[in-house]
Amino acid sequence: MGKTDSPTEKRALTIIGFLCNWCSYGGADTAGVCRFKQPTDLRVIRVPCTGRMDPLFIARALILGADGVLVSGCHPRDCHYAVGNLYARRRLEILKRMLPFMGIHADRFHYTWVSASEGQRWQQVVTEFSEQVGGLGPNPGVTSFHTGNREEL
Amino acid sequence: MRIGVFVCQCGTNIAGTVDTEAVARDALRHPEVVYATSYMYTCSEPGQQQIQRAIEEQDLQGVVVAACSPRMHEPTFRRAVEKAGLNRYMFEMANIREHVSWISNDRAANTLKAADLVQMAVAKLRFNHPLFSSQVPINKRVMVIGGGVAGIQAALDCADGGLEVVMVERQPSIGGKMAKLDKTFPTVDCSSCILGPKMVDVVQKENIRLYAGSEVESVSGYIGNFTVQIRKKTTYVDWSLCTGCGLCMEKCPSRKVPDHFNEDLGNTRAISIPFPQAIPKKAAIDKEYCRQFSKGKCGVCKKICPVGAIDFDMEDEFISEEVGAVIVATGFDLFDHSVYGEYGGGRFPDVISGLQYERILSASGPFGGHIQRPSDGREPKNIVFIACVGSRDASVGRPYCSGVCCMYIAKQAILTRDHLPDANCYVFYMDIRSPGKNYDEFVRRAQEEYGVHYIRGRVGKIYPKNDHLIVQGADTLLGAQVEVEADLVVLATGIEAAAGAKELAEKLRISYDLHGFYMESHPKLRPVETNTAGVYLAGVCQGPKDIPSSVAQGSAAAAKVQALFYRDTIETSPQVALVNERACVACGKCIQVCPFGAIQWKQLRGGVQKAEVLASVCQGCGLCNATCPPKAVQLQHCTDSQILAEIDVLCA
Amino acid sequence: MNTSILSELKKQAQQAWPELDLLIGWETGYDTLHTTPVFIKDSSEIQRLVWNPFCAQNLAGYLVKSPIVPRGEGSKKIGICVKGCDSRSVVALIQEKLVARDMLFIFGIPCRGVIDLRKLIPNQTGAKILSVRLTDDQVEVEHSKGLQHLAFADVLMRKCKRCRYPDPVIHDVLLGESVLPRIESHELYQDVAAIERLSLQERLAFWQTELDRCLRCYACRNACPLCVCQDRCIAETRDPKWLTQYMNLPEKFMFHFIHALHLAGRCTECGECERVCPMEIPVSLIKEELNKITKELLDFEAGLDLEGVPPLLTFSPAETGI
Repeated sequence: MGKTDSPTEKRALTIIGFLCNWCSYGGADTAGVCRFKQPTDLRVIRVPCTGRMDPLFIARALILGADGVLVSGCHPRDCHYAVGNLYARRRLEILKRMLPFMGIHADRFHYTWVSASEGQRWQQVVTEFSEQVGGLGPNPGVTSFHTGNREEL
Repeated sequence: MRIGVFVCQCGTNIAGTVDTEAVARDALRHPEVVYATSYMYTCSEPGQQQIQRAIEEQDLQGVVVAACSPRMHEPTFRRAVEKAGLNRYMFEMANIREHVSWISNDRAANTLKAADLVQMAVAKLRFNHPLFSSQVPINKRVMVIGGGVAGIQAALDCADGGLEVVMVERQPSIGGKMAKLDKTFPTVDCSSCILGPKMVDVVQKENIRLYAGSEVESVSGYIGNFTVQIRKKTTYVDWSLCTGCGLCMEKCPSRKVPDHFNEDLGNTRAISIPFPQAIPKKAAIDKEYCRQFSKGKCGVCKKICPVGAIDFDMEDEFISEEVGAVIVATGFDLFDHSVYGEYGGGRFPDVISGLQYERILSASGPFGGHIQRPSDGREPKNIVFIACVGSRDASVGRPYCSGVCCMYIAKQAILTRDHLPDANCYVFYMDIRSPGKNYDEFVRRAQEEYGVHYIRGRVGKIYPKNDHLIVQGADTLLGAQVEVEADLVVLATGIEAAAGAKELAEKLRISYDLHGFYMESHPKLRPVETNTAGVYLAGVCQGPKDIPSSVAQGSAAAAKVQALFYRDTIETSPQVALVNERACVACGKCIQVCPFGAIQWKQLRGGVQKAEVLASVCQGCGLCNATCPPKAVQLQHCTDSQILAEIDVLCA
Repeated sequence: MNTSILSELKKQAQQAWPELDLLIGWETGYDTLHTTPVFIKDSSEIQRLVWNPFCAQNLAGYLVKSPIVPRGEGSKKIGICVKGCDSRSVVALIQEKLVARDMLFIFGIPCRGVIDLRKLIPNQTGAKILSVRLTDDQVEVEHSKGLQHLAFADVLMRKCKRCRYPDPVIHDVLLGESVLPRIESHELYQDVAAIERLSLQERLAFWQTELDRCLRCYACRNACPLCVCQDRCIAETRDPKWLTQYMNLPEKFMFHFIHALHLAGRCTECGECERVCPMEIPVSLIKEELNKITKELLDFEAGLDLEGVPPLLTFSPAETGI
């Protein structure tokens, strides 16, 4: 395109949000309907349930250089599928604790619970997480490492 | 795949802060996108026609619409592309309104974000496959949980339509809160006279099965085929024998039992029928007060009962009912005003709740309809009503308006003046909320015709003095302090979610809001549906409302069920898990975690077994997909490949 | 001592044979330093069994991976020789219902540790080992450049130095005397603690350096008794395409995240992944870290309790703060 009004310039931060369809995606919609202003870095991927979240999706995003990953679902005991978020809670917490061991800042990943009615809470979650990730700066990713003239095969 | 991208301007809702033209142009950069455009209202008829035309002219195989939330219009656009010959799942939506244009005014950042979301939708769409629904039979029985006026209306409307209805009521009698009311606003007709016949109808309809004194224990299944476990709480009285003669109640020696139906203003017996018009009219023993249980001997009721219905060894009974839909009409509870220290914190017997006053006014109430003080039985001369007790008060966690208090105070003040023409009525209020038909006229009558003194302001303190209650408040219109020497103070206690509302919601897998009221599917357009298909709402469990609205919602929920049951089968969502048998390593982890028991072993030849998803049971949560190590089970329309594609375009 | 255990093993195997279709153990490999698995299908072959500190390989994986292991109805039991660490893998497999307890006959051997062959060869010399003689606490290595005496404790595999379960946690017969754990439970995670002490940048650099050597040969995965996907592993599938064939660092990180996270709450720390790595990458550390987290967070240790449920396949509604 190459036009001046092209939206293709690089965004400042890449933050990926995985939102469950029933609660948090609705909460984000509610925040929008209420016109609660939020930072614009977040890009939302809609999943049916946080139980759908394989921690590897998050690992993949952070390894590939996403600056932050946010996962949000229904409050525990309020899962649309009864227990999906209770499984997710364990899996996500283990990932969160493991990331720093591999050299990835734990603050680049956050998981939380926001219901469909909690527009204001969603605004707060997005704002705080964006600030937190902004404070860390761009994710160096694992690729910043160079050993001489090693090339991608 | 030949992909078309349609960017909606939504008037200025999106175009105001997003350069939709630029987003459309940018979309053309993405692989397989052959057509992109921006339009004023993509959801409008010409907007949908534009998509259909493009599918035909451009030979599109997949469509992306960047517009509002998919929770809003995904079904609309799926239908539109289907009409043009595409499979409805060859469609993706990018939410650039609720998630973009409405949350930021930064046009450049919004445009960039919208373009990213379109790119993600395109990336996902490239991995979409046509999916096809299947049909499962509907069990045309409906369960109504809650036997208040909303539930009764829903049950009767369903039954009138020929459906089999199962009603579950927690209390020993149906009738709910309305059965406790003396009169109803603004017509001042007798509450039990208009509710009573409906209650009788419930037991007389052959196609309504009533479980009173029962609670929902667990719910499994899905729209069309729910299985509900009901706990029938023991009453120690065999209701199949009890005739409701009331002899046991007359002879029961345990007489100091708080009468919950009369809001604890009077006493009843340890074995009692809750009120004369109770449906079913059956006795139940309150174990806490029964001498047989507390002292180990008595048995008067057992001796006297002419039909031998008393059984002290009775236990809770569990019953399973199969239904195709559930209407939740569990009503509300009253705010506990004892948190307000300034109103006495519940310590003054003559500071009572609105519902207690309702019982005092009632001819079947503790005082036979004679207005008197609970403390000494004296007829009150000055009566103060205080509005918004536990309503519109964030400091007690009740920021919402209960909606009915202004009206019931006006009614109670009018009735007071009718009963005691010499009594003075004072109403302390914040604002008058009277938006219903003939409602404001009714409040005016209270003020003008009945001479009720309305004082705009809050009460700061109530304290006892010489047999009176001194009510200190402010009149904000006059800017003056007011002090009333009251004999009786009626607090217009607000509405709160029923006890146990959250637990029931969890069993039904429906959402509730901050205050425990159940969430409707859409606040305007789907007010009786929940986000769990086949579960509908009626009455105050969804939010505070008056009787006409509750009845209307009961009928609305019944209409929804009738519409659902009009067909013999229901289309199941194909967005379910699917096992790739070649990749399955038969580790069984999916079977272990599935919350719905939707995965089972499939035996193949040679003793080989693989996991198999029962598509009609699968709810599409994707837990199995996340758990499966070799990713052999994939949630259709939300596959690993699709999620990875979305991640990868963002991280590229 | 080892010889008496071996003769007892052979005796017990002979006794148990009528119940068995197959016995999996170790036999001498192409030289005395190497043992290889042996699959005994006839009682006359029981003589081939060996037991010594070179029996490093965890045989549990064969229970689920080997096509020669009978699984059909009516088949008799499978005999398997296990060290303490190996026995935990067997328990984990039973927990996950991948093998049935009543199909197994477990010969448990309390283990004083197995030798890391890399530690026998003098640094940088490239010397060829001619023979090795073992005593209770000494290893005498004769190599092309002389004779060397090493302390047994110094040539153990890393996992053995931190072994807390030298005695098999499950067995039908136990051979030899109980062995005391080498460490206290609070010392269990000293190796990962050393990495935790590094700064975030140093940790990233550490793994960048280590994982950059990864060839993606998947030996670690193939050796793991609990990596039951094998050919269906998502490291190699094209749909879904979790990994590409590109030999770059992100792909290597991703592979090791997949391997480790698939073992979260399941890894029994048998150390096979690390032992077989041709590039000597300490891949086991990642799983040790996950085990440490699982222990702290959910108080779960894999492969100890037959009734235990792997913690990521269950939940507790009441748990909060996580």
